[in-house]
Amino acid sequence: MPFRETFWNIPHWAEIGQYILGLLTILVFAYGVFRRVKRWRMGQPEKRFDQIGKRLWSVLVDAFGQARTAQDAYAGIMHLTIFWGMVALFIGTALATVDWDVTHLFFGFQFLINGAYILYELILDIFGVLLLVGLGMAVYRRYFIRPPRLQPATAWQNALAQNVDRDDAYALVMLTLITLSGYFVEGLRIAVSKPEWSPWSPVGNALASWFIVTGDPTNRTLHLTLWTIHILVAFILIASIPFTKLFHILAAPLNIFFRSMQPAGTLIPARNDDQVGVKEWRDFTWKQLLDFEACVRCGRCQDACPAFASGASLSPRNFIISLKTHLWDTSSGHRLHGDVISSKELWACTSCRACVQVCPIFVDHLASIVDMRRYLVNEGEIDALLQKTLANLGRYGNSFGQSERLRVKWTQPIQAVIKDARKEAVEYLWFVGDYASYHVMFSDITRKTAQVFQKADLDFGILYDAERNTGNDVRRVGEEGLYESLVEKNAAVMSKCKYNTIVTTDPHTYNTLKNEYPANGNNHPVLHYTELLDQLIAAGKLQINKKLNYKVTYHDPCYLGRYNGIYDAPRRIIRALGCELTEMPRHGDRAFCCGAGGGKIWMEEQPEVKERPAESRVREAAGIPGVSTLVTTCPKDLVMFCDAVKTAGLEGKILVKDLIELVDEAM
Amino acid sequence: MNVVALFKLVPDLVEELEIDQSGTALNTDFLRLIINELDDHAIEQAILLKERSGARMTVIGSDAEGADDVLYTAVAKGADQLIKLMGDPNAVINNHAMARATAIVLKELQPDLILTGVQAHNDLDGSIGPLVAEYLGMPYVGYVSGVNVQNGRIVVRKEYPGGLIAEMEVDLPAVVGIQSAEQPPRYVTVNKVRQAMKTAAIEERPLPALDVSGGAAIRRMFKPESATRAKMIEGSTEEVTARLLDIFKEIGAL
Repeated sequence: MPFRETFWNIPHWAEIGQYILGLLTILVFAYGVFRRVKRWRMGQPEKRFDQIGKRLWSVLVDAFGQARTAQDAYAGIMHLTIFWGMVALFIGTALATVDWDVTHLFFGFQFLINGAYILYELILDIFGVLLLVGLGMAVYRRYFIRPPRLQPATAWQNALAQNVDRDDAYALVMLTLITLSGYFVEGLRIAVSKPEWSPWSPVGNALASWFIVTGDPTNRTLHLTLWTIHILVAFILIASIPFTKLFHILAAPLNIFFRSMQPAGTLIPARNDDQVGVKEWRDFTWKQLLDFEACVRCGRCQDACPAFASGASLSPRNFIISLKTHLWDTSSGHRLHGDVISSKELWACTSCRACVQVCPIFVDHLASIVDMRRYLVNEGEIDALLQKTLANLGRYGNSFGQSERLRVKWTQPIQAVIKDARKEAVEYLWFVGDYASYHVMFSDITRKTAQVFQKADLDFGILYDAERNTGNDVRRVGEEGLYESLVEKNAAVMSKCKYNTIVTTDPHTYNTLKNEYPANGNNHPVLHYTELLDQLIAAGKLQINKKLNYKVTYHDPCYLGRYNGIYDAPRRIIRALGCELTEMPRHGDRAFCCGAGGGKIWMEEQPEVKERPAESRVREAAGIPGVSTLVTTCPKDLVMFCDAVKTAGLEGKILVKDLIELVDEAM
Repeated sequence: MNVVALFKLVPDLVEELEIDQSGTALNTDFLRLIINELDDHAIEQAILLKERSGARMTVIGSDAEGADDVLYTAVAKGADQLIKLMGDPNAVINNHAMARATAIVLKELQPDLILTGVQAHNDLDGSIGPLVAEYLGMPYVGYVSGVNVQNGRIVVRKEYPGGLIAEMEVDLPAVVGIQSAEQPPRYVTVNKVRQAMKTAAIEERPLPALDVSGGAAIRRMFKPESATRAKMIEGSTEEVTARLLDIFKEIGAL
C-alpha cells in the first residue's frame, strides 16, 4: 500500500530539533513582521477599511491570480510558476507533516495513502519542475538578458545598489537551493527504500536511478545531510521573509487589499489642516509607507514612464526604492527632500498614471509625488514659469494670464448666439476649459465644436467670462489652496445655473469635474464631448453626410483613457466617420503621455530631457505605414503634438487633428 | 532695524485701457489694479533683509481694490506690520502729493530704511522714491538690485546701463528704489494667504491731506497715435550715409 513515511532515516533528535527550529523561525518571522508594521504605523492615518468585499475580491484576482503580473508574458509565466510552485510545495510539506506528526502520531491514521498519496507525489513533483523552470527564467532574465528596468540607477549610492542586488540574488539562490535539496532528499530516499510506487515521483525516481548508478545507494548519511540542509534552508528562508525582498509575499497582498477604491481621477486631498504636504517620511500615510515596502523593484513603472523615457531625472522605480531605503535609514541623517528625492524628480512627473496602471501590486506613485510637491509649493520651491502660471490662475482664473473677458473671444466670428447658461436653463452646460478657450491654435476648433453642437440641435450653453480653470492640474502641481479657490468660484456660478449634464472639451477639466467636484457639490453627470457625440451618433441625432476615408491613428489622452476608461467612444466615432483606424504600438491603457499633464505644460523643460514625450509620440504615429493623421481629443495634446511635429521634422508627414475637426468635416 | 516697503497699485495691462470722456484720465469702469511689479520686488527685498538681519518689516500702501490682497500676501511672506492709507485713490497718480502725504506717516514710524519700486508705468510726475527721500531729508539711491546691512549702514548694488554694476555704502536712514530684488518675488500658496487673512490685522490710517503742487497737470490723455512719418532709406552703405548727411543738412542739424 503506498503511504508516506515522512521521517524516513531521520533520527528522533533531528525530528524534535526540527520542531524547535520551527518555533524559533516563527519567532524571528513574527518579530520581523511586527517591526515592519510598527514602522508603517508611524505614518499618518488613512481610512482603508471600507468595501471589504471588493478588497478581498481584488486580493483574489490581483494577488493570487496575479492578473497584472501576467500582462507581461515572460515575467508573468516566470512569476506564476515560482509562486504556484512554492505554494504547492509549501502545502505539500505542511500536509506531510500533519499526516505524520499529527494524525498518525496522535490519532493513528494517515490520509496520504493509496491513490491520494500517489496523486500527492505526482503533483508535487510537477510543481517542483514548474518552480525550477520559473527560477531558471528569472536567473536568465536578471543575469543574462539584463533588461534595463532591473538595473540599478546610476544615481544611487553604490552601497544601496549593492544591497538591492544582494537582496535580489538571495531570493533566487534560496528558492533554488530549497527546491534542489528537496529533490535530492526525495531521490536518495527512493534510491534506498525503493517503494514500488516510485514512478509516480518522476523527478525523484530519475534522481534515484542516478544515485544508484553513480554511488552508494545506501548512503544514509548523505541523505541525512541533505535533509538537514533542506530543513535549514527552508527555515532560514521563512525566517528571513520579513527582512528581505521576499517580504512581498505578505506586503503585496496587503497593499492590494488596502489599495484606493476611489476612481483613479480622485486625488487624495492634502491631509494636514495647513496643507503643507509631506516634509518628512512620517508625513506619509501608513498606506503610502506600505506602498514603498511592498515594492519588488520589478521596474514596469520605469518602462511605462514618459519622464524616464525622455531622459528626465525621474524613474518611478527608483523613487519608490529610495523612499523605502530612507524609511529604515536612521543613521545617515539624510533629509527626505534634497538628499533622498530631488525636486527635479518630483517636477518631472506628468501625472500620466502609466506607472500606477502597470504596477502589479497597485503602488500609487502619483499620490506620494503630489504629496511631496505640496511641500515644495508651500516652500515656494517652484520654477519661475510655474510660479507665473499659478499667479495667473489665482488672479485671472486661467493659465494664460489673460482677461476673463477674452475667454469667449473665440465666439466672435460665430453667427448664432451661444446661450449664456447663467441667464437661461440649458440641457448641456458646456465647460470649455482654458486651452480650448484661450489658445490661438484652438479657437477655430472650439468654434467647430460649437457648430457641431448646433447642427445636432443640442440645447447647450456656456458660462462665458464666469468660467474658471477647473484646477485639475493645479491640484496635481500641489497647490491645493488654489485648487480649492478655483473650485469655489466655479461651484458658485454653476450652483446658480439650470442644466442637466456637463459636457467638456478638455479631458483634464472632465476628470476633476467628474471625479473631484462631487465632493464640492456637483451631482450632475459629466460627459466628455466624445461620449456625447458617440451617444448622438448612436441615437441618429448626428448626421454624418460624408465618409472621410482617412487613414488615422488615435492617441488616448491620459485623463480620458487611463484616468477614466474612455477608450471606445472616440474610436467608435472615428469609425462612424468612415476613417480607417490603425492603432499605435502604445495605445489604450498603455498610451504614451504627451508630456503636458500635472502642470508640466506650465514648467520649463528640464535640461536632461533628450527626446520630449510628445516627439516620441508623433514619431510613433508617423511610423505607421499609410497613416496620415494623428487624431486626439485633448486640447493640450493638440498643442504639444503640433509643436512636436515641427521640432521632430515631421511636417508634411503627419497631421495632428482634434476629433471634432473630422466630425465637423464629415457633417 | 525698521524696514518699510511702499507699494502702489497700477492699472493691470491685461485689460485694455480706455480714456474716459474728460480726456484726461483712464476710464475706471474696466480698470483693474495690480501691484506695481517693482514694488513687489521691493517687498521681496525687504523680506530678504528681514530674514537675514532680523529687521522689523512694515508694508504701506493706499486703499484701492486689491490692496488688502497685497498686504495679506506680504504678511504671508513674512511682513510684520500692514498699513493701509485710507483716502481718495484717484490721487495716486500724483506722486508729489502722495510722497508728501506718505512722508508724514513715515515720520511717525521712524524707519531706518524705506524700499520702493524704482518706477511704475503710471508715474506721470517722476518716481515716488526720490520725492519721499526729499520730503524726509534722507539720501536716495535708485536702480538697486540688492541690499545688505553692514555695521549700521547698507551696501547696495546699483545697476548702470551697459552692464556696469556699482556697490555703494549708504548711511541710514535712507530711501532705496528697487530695480529688482536679489531673487524673484517668492510664491506664497493661496492657503498661506488665507491663513494670513484670518490672523493678520491691517492697520487703517487716514491719508494725510494731499498737496498736489509740483506734480503734473494733465491736459490731455491719449493712446499712442499711429503715424506714417518714418521713411526707409535704401541702398548701399555709402548711399545711405550720403543721404543721411543731406537730411541732417536739410534740417539744420549739421
